[in-house]
Amino acid sequence: MFPTNTKFLVVDDFATMRKIIKKVLNELGYTNVEEADDGKTALPLIQAAHDAGQPYGFIISDWNMPGMQGIDLLKACKADPRTKSVPFMLVTAESEQKHILEAAKAGVSDYVVKPFNSATLKAKMERVWAKHNPSTQAKAS
Amino acid sequence: MSAAPKVEALNPLFDKRLINAFVDGVIKTLKTMAQTDATPGKPFIEPQFVLKGEIAGMVGMVAPPLKGTLLISYGKDSIFHILENMLGEKYTSINGDVSDAVGEMTNMIYGSAKTTLNQLGYNFEMAIPTVISGEFKITHADKGATLVIPFNLTNGSTFYVEISVQQ
Repeated sequence: MFPTNTKFLVVDDFATMRKIIKKVLNELGYTNVEEADDGKTALPLIQAAHDAGQPYGFIISDWNMPGMQGIDLLKACKADPRTKSVPFMLVTAESEQKHILEAAKAGVSDYVVKPFNSATLKAKMERVWAKHNPSTQAKAS
Repeated sequence: MSAAPKVEALNPLFDKRLINAFVDGVIKTLKTMAQTDATPGKPFIEPQFVLKGEIAGMVGMVAPPLKGTLLISYGKDSIFHILENMLGEKYTSINGDVSDAVGEMTNMIYGSAKTTLNQLGYNFEMAIPTVISGEFKITHADKGATLVIPFNLTNGSTFYVEISVQQ
């Protein structure tokens, strides 16, 4: 699983959802959590964090946002060599097959459908860790 | 795979599957996000909009050629009960945090219902909800009827899901 000092960015236009995700992360021991209210605000934060040598270790973003949608933020991150390997999870009310396929094609690490509970978020994070750290997973098993 | 229903042949307000999709969306969202049980009451049709409660989340439902509105109205007792369970915080007045939470819940309930309905052959698109509070009035463009589904909470309060569809 991700170390407890992992730096998170939670992107959602609704403060309530940012609060809920932050609460779950805190319960899991993660306290280094920053927030942005849409993709347009998040992208420069992600780039600046990388350039400052303190990159985000995990981005959790809503899909349906004004300004810049989560899927476009994902595509922008994947297109930038500085940020393409940062684990990126979409949390969204969109659970139709076409959306899941679009997100997978864009390189999403995993996908959480709202409504969700803390156990679901934790399980998805474990899957993302395993996906991004296959060697650690092999040693553990 | 079963053939998609001929949506244009139906009056969506009388489509039991539409009602069930919203009922399931509400129950699932409240149970999962707020560990709150919501019990649906008997749906009814209202000829014109009647204000219920002090705050509401509203989203335009677009599934060409259908257009409609989803409105979820809460009184203080129902929304404060839900939010206390969801966020672990007590609220005593309708403020920005309460409005934000109403918007997010509208988003989740509509998203959940939309997924079910689209699997049944509708083609609803996602939209960003708005929140209205205080004394408000809604005038539907075609003066169409509104389907109202009441939901009862364990603290004795009720909130309302209201759907109007224009074809």
